[in-house]
Amino acid sequence: MNIDTGVRNLAVLVAIGMLAGLAAIFFWVPTDDFQGVAQRLFYIHVPSAWVAYLAFAVVLVGSIAHLKTGSRRWDLLADSSAEVGVVFTGITLVTGMMWGRPVWGAYWQWEPRLTSTFVLFVVYLGYVVFRRMGDPGRTGRIAAVIGIVGFVNVPLVHFSVRWWRGLHPSGVVNPASEANLPWQMLVTMLFMLGVFTLLYALFLTLRVRLGRLEDRLLLLEGR
Amino acid sequence: MRTAFAIAAKDLRAEARSKEVAPAMLLFALALVFLFTFALPPGSGRAPVPLPRAGSVGAREIASVFLWSSLLFAAIVGFGRSAALEREGSRLDALVLAPVDPALVFAGKAIANFLYLTFIAILVFFFFVVFIGVAPGAILGFLPIALMTNIGLAVIGTLFGTATQYSRAKELLLPLLIFPSVLPPLLAAIRLTSETLVHGDPFTETGWFILIAIYDIVFATIGAVTFEFVIRE
Repeated sequence: MNIDTGVRNLAVLVAIGMLAGLAAIFFWVPTDDFQGVAQRLFYIHVPSAWVAYLAFAVVLVGSIAHLKTGSRRWDLLADSSAEVGVVFTGITLVTGMMWGRPVWGAYWQWEPRLTSTFVLFVVYLGYVVFRRMGDPGRTGRIAAVIGIVGFVNVPLVHFSVRWWRGLHPSGVVNPASEANLPWQMLVTMLFMLGVFTLLYALFLTLRVRLGRLEDRLLLLEGR
Repeated sequence: MRTAFAIAAKDLRAEARSKEVAPAMLLFALALVFLFTFALPPGSGRAPVPLPRAGSVGAREIASVFLWSSLLFAAIVGFGRSAALEREGSRLDALVLAPVDPALVFAGKAIANFLYLTFIAILVFFFFVVFIGVAPGAILGFLPIALMTNIGLAVIGTLFGTATQYSRAKELLLPLLIFPSVLPPLLAAIRLTSETLVHGDPFTETGWFILIAIYDIVFATIGAVTFEFVIRE
């Protein structure tokens, strides 16, 4: 089973991009005046969060398409994307906590964005567990329902937590909104967003491939 | 819609005879209330709870968290049991075979779950009157909150309760899926209930009612549309 050249080229591209990005993060970008070195985590944190949301949006699309068409292809896409999404949500949460401790003085705050990310993490973890524990005949369809409910719920969670906390500003410093952002920071951030998107594409392709092989194995074993 | 009520009535009749769901929920809720009262200041069961000082969290505000936590846990027990009974007795299979719109089957199940929940909510409220000294009159504020919140809980509970029946880890999965999913109406209900217990009136914060209403409408629609895919062979 040789991996086709497209996937291999993508992997090489991601590896080069990741190394270049890391070099930029550690040696090229200026240190933030207020947050210090911890701010460099943003170049990992923000792209991970972006990939997580992208991945769950793909789960939503795959789930709806699977319910509409009944095709295993969409089902596999949603399943694969959910797994990748959970991993990147985990990275988002952990890097966020590592940043929060020195800058906020606390690992965690029950702030709307954090809470909705956490809820996403739990819901899609449930999704992934269900996938492994389900009755094979209907797992795909039921998981699709869970995927849809989970995604639709996110804005409501965000909104309710914001109200619960009484609308006070959360104290998150958003580097992208600062007017005098050094151009190196912006370039690095955009570059890392690109690299992480490619990384997502790579993981997704590999996972879908693996799923197809598993399907074939099940077929061959006559189950 | 008559079909939905017929299915709900069928479930309630079965429940009235077998008493498999509501008593379990009630006992569970009672056990939780009993446990939670230990976290409240001594004497709050006997005397009216003193109003909180500025900046402190009062017993009444905590009481509202306890009230809804007990209800939510009892609800999860109830959803799991009512869905399991359907599955075990192959009653769900019969409903799938019946020439009925699955959305109406969903509505019927959700109505039955809603009624169990509301029944439990009222009883649990009176536990709080007896054990924690909540003013009995606050039921007037609590009832509309409970009615609206229970719609959303019953909808999600029916959908996920049935969905997790087709899994090997249903005892784990049902709470794992339900807790995060019902966060919005739960926060709303806790906030509104604590308004009721502290100020005697929940209607000052209409925004939360609107939030619950939006939640109910959105998920009742999603549930009705997708339930077919959960139960279909």
